[in-house]
Amino acid sequence: MPIELTLNGEAITLDIDPRTPLLDVLRDRHGLTGAKAVCREGFCGACTVHIDGQAVPSCLRPIGLLQGCSIVTVEGLAPPGTLNRVQQAFIDHDVVQCGMCFPGMVMTLTDFLDREPTPTRDQIKAALVGNICRCTGYERIIDAVLSLQAEGVA
Amino acid sequence: MNRPTDPRTVVMNLPRRDALDKVTGRTRYTSDLGAGVLHAAILRSTVASARILRMDFSPALAMKGVRAIAQASDAPGLFGIGIADHPLLNGSRIRFKGEPLAAIAADTLEIARAAAAAVIVETEPLPAVMTMADALSPDAPIIHPDWKSYELLREGGIRGGNVAWEARVSRGDTDAAFARPDIIIIEDCFQVGRQNQLPFEPRCAVASYEDGRYHIHTSTQVPWTVRAVTAKALGVSPSRVRVTVPAVGGGFGLKFDCTIEPIAAVLAQKTGRTVSLVHSREEENLTCLCRENAEVRIRSAVTAEGEIAGREATVLMDCGAYGGEQVFLTTMTAHTLGGNYKLGSVRLNSRAVYTNTPPNGAFRACNGVYNTFFLERHTDNIARAIGMHPLELRRRAVLGDGDIGATGQVFLGDVLRPMLDRMAAFRDRTPDQRDRADGRLYGRATTVGTWFIFVGPSSATVNLNADGSATLVTSGVEIGSGTMVQALPQIVAATLGLSPDEVIVKAADTDAAGRDLGVGGGRATVSIGAASKMAAERVRDQILNIAAEMLQAQPEDLILTKGRVEIADRPGTGMAITSAIARAEALHGPVSGNGNFTAPGVAALPGCAAGHFIEAIDIPVFAVHDCEVAVDPDTGHVEVLSYKVVQDVGLALNPRAVHSQIQGGVVQGLGYALHEKISIGPDGALEQPGFEQYLVPLAGDVVPVEIDLYEGAPSIGPLGTKGAGEVPILNVGATVACAVSRAIGRDVSELPLTPPTVLALIQGRTDRMDHPHIAAEWTENLLGAEVPPRSPAKSRPTH
Amino acid sequence: MMAETGYGEITTPQTLADAVAAMAGGAVPIAGATWLLRAPLRHEVLPERLMSLRGLADLQVLTIGPRQALLGAMLTHDALAGALVGHPDLAGLATAAGASANPGIRRTATLGGNIGTRGFAASDLVPALLAADATVILATGQGLQSLPLAQHLAGRGDAGLIVRVEVARSPRRAAHARLPMRKAGDYPCAIVSVSADLSSGRIKDIRIAVGAVEATARRWTSLEERLTGTTLDPALAEAAARQLTGDFSARDAVDAPGWYRLSVLPVLLRRAFTQLEV
Ligand SMILES: Cc1cc2nc3c(=O)[nH]c(=O)nc-3n(C[C@H](O)[C@H](O)[C@H](O)COP(=O)(O)OP(=O)(O)OC[C@H]3O[C@@H](n4cnc5c(N)ncnc54)[C@H](O)[C@@H]3O)c2cc1C
Ligand code: FES
Ligand code: FES
Repeated sequence: MPIELTLNGEAITLDIDPRTPLLDVLRDRHGLTGAKAVCREGFCGACTVHIDGQAVPSCLRPIGLLQGCSIVTVEGLAPPGTLNRVQQAFIDHDVVQCGMCFPGMVMTLTDFLDREPTPTRDQIKAALVGNICRCTGYERIIDAVLSLQAEGVA
Repeated sequence: MNRPTDPRTVVMNLPRRDALDKVTGRTRYTSDLGAGVLHAAILRSTVASARILRMDFSPALAMKGVRAIAQASDAPGLFGIGIADHPLLNGSRIRFKGEPLAAIAADTLEIARAAAAAVIVETEPLPAVMTMADALSPDAPIIHPDWKSYELLREGGIRGGNVAWEARVSRGDTDAAFARPDIIIIEDCFQVGRQNQLPFEPRCAVASYEDGRYHIHTSTQVPWTVRAVTAKALGVSPSRVRVTVPAVGGGFGLKFDCTIEPIAAVLAQKTGRTVSLVHSREEENLTCLCRENAEVRIRSAVTAEGEIAGREATVLMDCGAYGGEQVFLTTMTAHTLGGNYKLGSVRLNSRAVYTNTPPNGAFRACNGVYNTFFLERHTDNIARAIGMHPLELRRRAVLGDGDIGATGQVFLGDVLRPMLDRMAAFRDRTPDQRDRADGRLYGRATTVGTWFIFVGPSSATVNLNADGSATLVTSGVEIGSGTMVQALPQIVAATLGLSPDEVIVKAADTDAAGRDLGVGGGRATVSIGAASKMAAERVRDQILNIAAEMLQAQPEDLILTKGRVEIADRPGTGMAITSAIARAEALHGPVSGNGNFTAPGVAALPGCAAGHFIEAIDIPVFAVHDCEVAVDPDTGHVEVLSYKVVQDVGLALNPRAVHSQIQGGVVQGLGYALHEKISIGPDGALEQPGFEQYLVPLAGDVVPVEIDLYEGAPSIGPLGTKGAGEVPILNVGATVACAVSRAIGRDVSELPLTPPTVLALIQGRTDRMDHPHIAAEWTENLLGAEVPPRSPAKSRPTH
Repeated sequence: MMAETGYGEITTPQTLADAVAAMAGGAVPIAGATWLLRAPLRHEVLPERLMSLRGLADLQVLTIGPRQALLGAMLTHDALAGALVGHPDLAGLATAAGASANPGIRRTATLGGNIGTRGFAASDLVPALLAADATVILATGQGLQSLPLAQHLAGRGDAGLIVRVEVARSPRRAAHARLPMRKAGDYPCAIVSVSADLSSGRIKDIRIAVGAVEATARRWTSLEERLTGTTLDPALAEAAARQLTGDFSARDAVDAPGWYRLSVLPVLLRRAFTQLEV
């Protein structure tokens, strides 16, 4: 049975093995390589996307369970040529290193800040339990997120 | 013309030009290039030690969608570092579980994997040794029976049986030192497990075969090594291999590996198609070229005043089934375990030992990390034995200006002692976190460490474009550390009076840029930076000469600034740099300059070191770390309360980026110290295939590192820089171990300090560490000294 | 990254009867998929015929009534943690749901999946539900069947579709103490879940469940007996527990050796008791 869903605002129909992880659909069929396949077991968060507004790992979501869902990937987060505030904060604070974890970080923290606009340092760290970064040592990521509140943008 | 570049024009917190694409997911890594290509899978051995009797590929070849198979006969050459002992694909004798035997390219990854699984492999089991203790026992099976016939890529190594390489240091008379009446002898054994680099992008390559040449896109730190190894393994001229490198999703030393690329190249040549080979996470972890597990016995003869009259140590480094980096790294024991302190006399023996386990590799600061742990815990035990405060002992014993190191190298400048003072002041001005221990056991420690910048050949070309921008062409790779997007454009821009965003930096392409040793070992800023600076200066000089004629001035009176040539001190009197470029192009053609760099070489005392690749280190780098911990006496969990770093950086070109490297490096070190455990099962396989079992620090496990950059120590790097990215991890294991040891009042003799390991120490379940297979008498651990093995015919080199 | 190359199917039954019939025909229920989709990593084959539970309204039920809480099998950990806030007798379950795994997984993984996962020793919800004396409601060929959780875990009764879990409510307090190796994010190496009636000032009707130590979570009955009638004293409870850890034969596994699990059990009990005090 064809699977119909919305991907970055566009209606799409897929006729593939319904057990295929969403991550592979994004990367292999739609060229959306922003979500990274790093662990494929739900621990690292590099594959995080928004499904019906919630940040979840895409590696463990079979496409067949997503009938009618709305999916937003890092490519669809902000209009082309613009950045959302989390992305902007990451650039401003020189946070990025190899960059592989950052699409996932952006997706998780964007969703998180929508729910929790004025988080503490510890709350941000708790929100990142499922987003691993091997390069940066995290703290500057947290500083960048906290700066959004300091600026009163949040 | 010899005009210095003013460091003040180079130093800045330049943001990264690659950040925008990285946070928007647009950066294309090698592992993102897989669309529309063939996919390859590797057939791996399922046992650790066996003779291959027969391989039948027909079931795989019969499968629809299978396009080609690469096997041992396609890549007959052996490669390695120091010793060529490693086949690309093994067709005869399996030496570790997971060893690549063949590779299959197919229309999809699923088909390639299914085909690999369908190959029939018939083997006859051979005895295996999984530990170094077993490998060194007199009747151990020899893992490389043909070791004597291997091509030596470097002379001078002492080898034999399961000892792939032995590097020795002997300076002064330790026997006399240990016999002195006024000394105390302190002896310790320590050990560490392996550590997985775990870069987020696994090892991967996309290869094609075009016009009779191999073109490999790969996620590597060493494009020129990939070129050389691919050529050697395939038996073709290196000129037939082109390597290009897109953004690399993390390396940390793992991507010195060159075992993926030649396989992809063979398959591309056989199919005539582009072939993508990407490790699955399980393959990546189980065949990870880890920081090796290691064991040491160390003893020191020390006076009551803290003078170290003699030191002897034997280090065993597990190289796994093939020698690899460990052969080279035996060298680094002299400069790390033998470093930091003034030694009256010293004997060191560093042995790379073969086992039937996955080969190991290079990981940020390599064996420096555990040698520093060994040395600093030993130093604490010395302090306890002679009743001196550990900081006082360090202050007295560290190397100063004119002191000689283990191999007799003379160290320049007082660096470690003033850095210790800086740390003392740092501690004094920040309140301690003892309160936060909240009933748990509290401990604190300060340690010192020595590492080096791995210099060596680099080349660079700068093209000055008609529009006033410059293009920098090197073989550098952006692995995340920021060199290619921050330090290098900063250096070139300052030399040419441009802004850094007017400097285009070309990513590595071995067809475009000259040879380079690669990115790692903290060398990029220094070696590629020096070559880039020289190239930019040559361009600058051409422009200034032309401009001098045009302005009727002397070139010495001109400067390049803000895209203009100006007469010094008379801003506005000159002209746009584009005018000078236009004139130069009209007269001579486009403007470009080349630069190069190599290790200048520093002297050691003749006769001190045997089997070393580097007898003395060109650019030493020092670090002083301080850490506070709280240990839960009930569960053994260690919480790091604070972490401070005073790091010798020479000159910080981009202080903000250096801070970022330090935070990241310290956190990897915290993983090594506390969480990242790798165990080896009875079958010789690593037991941590994924992120579920291999625990790296998460955001909640880390603290903001407090940083004080120590500038001004001598360095031959451009503008006095030293690499800053590798060394932050150096003394983290040491510092945490010393702090935990003080907190729990027990000897900490191993890493990582996982909760079970710490609780076992607290509960007294752990015996004092001893390595019976490392003899107490130093000379008995030398090749040629031990009891002859079973086959007495084997002649062993003596020393 | 499928281990096999066949083309699978996921059906979406709309009634319990259809679902039960599909299961009888060999379809495997798939809920949050956080366990099932990792089959290739365990070198297992992902079943070809799967059955989504998204269409079944009965599995979405969430009622926290004065006498009984009805918790549908398709509730995510996140939804559970949110709904159970402010109910002292369900606090252990709330902690279990809110502290397990990581935020993304908690938004996906379900109650039914956590109970239904075979061969998973470190489940958080199971010991919390054992301490809550939960009953599992299963849809089977014979209609709805209710079974105490412990019996369900022991494989008694028909292996049916988990529809919901029922917890009887009473004025008691509950707590859940888990011990991962890091601050959070990995599987706990030991879990102690406690629920007790403390209204008289003495411990009454206490239930202590231990997870992650043996292959399957179970109650610590000898300790329950020992502590019944005593006052709530975390230190004394820890001491009592230390004498009784011999009741368990703990797993040696890659994450922790057995002795370690046993050694921390009394500590976790103390921590759970400390939570009860508040
Ligand atoms: C990164 C990560 C971290 C984790 N950490 C934790 C942790 O800390 N604590 C913890 O407890 N767990 C943890 N888990 C495990 C995870 O929570 C469980 O796998 C999860 O609860 C399973 O739920 P699911 O809905 O995803 O199940 P699924 O994967 O959909 O199914 C799991 C099994 O249950 C069966 N099943 C599902 N629903 C029903 C039903 N209604 N009736 C009958 N059978 C059913 C399925 O057939 C399957 O066999 C972690 C998982 C990941 C990926
Ligand atoms: S790849 Fe999905 S969580 Fe790691
Ligand atoms: S920047 Fe490399 S993993 Fe986060």
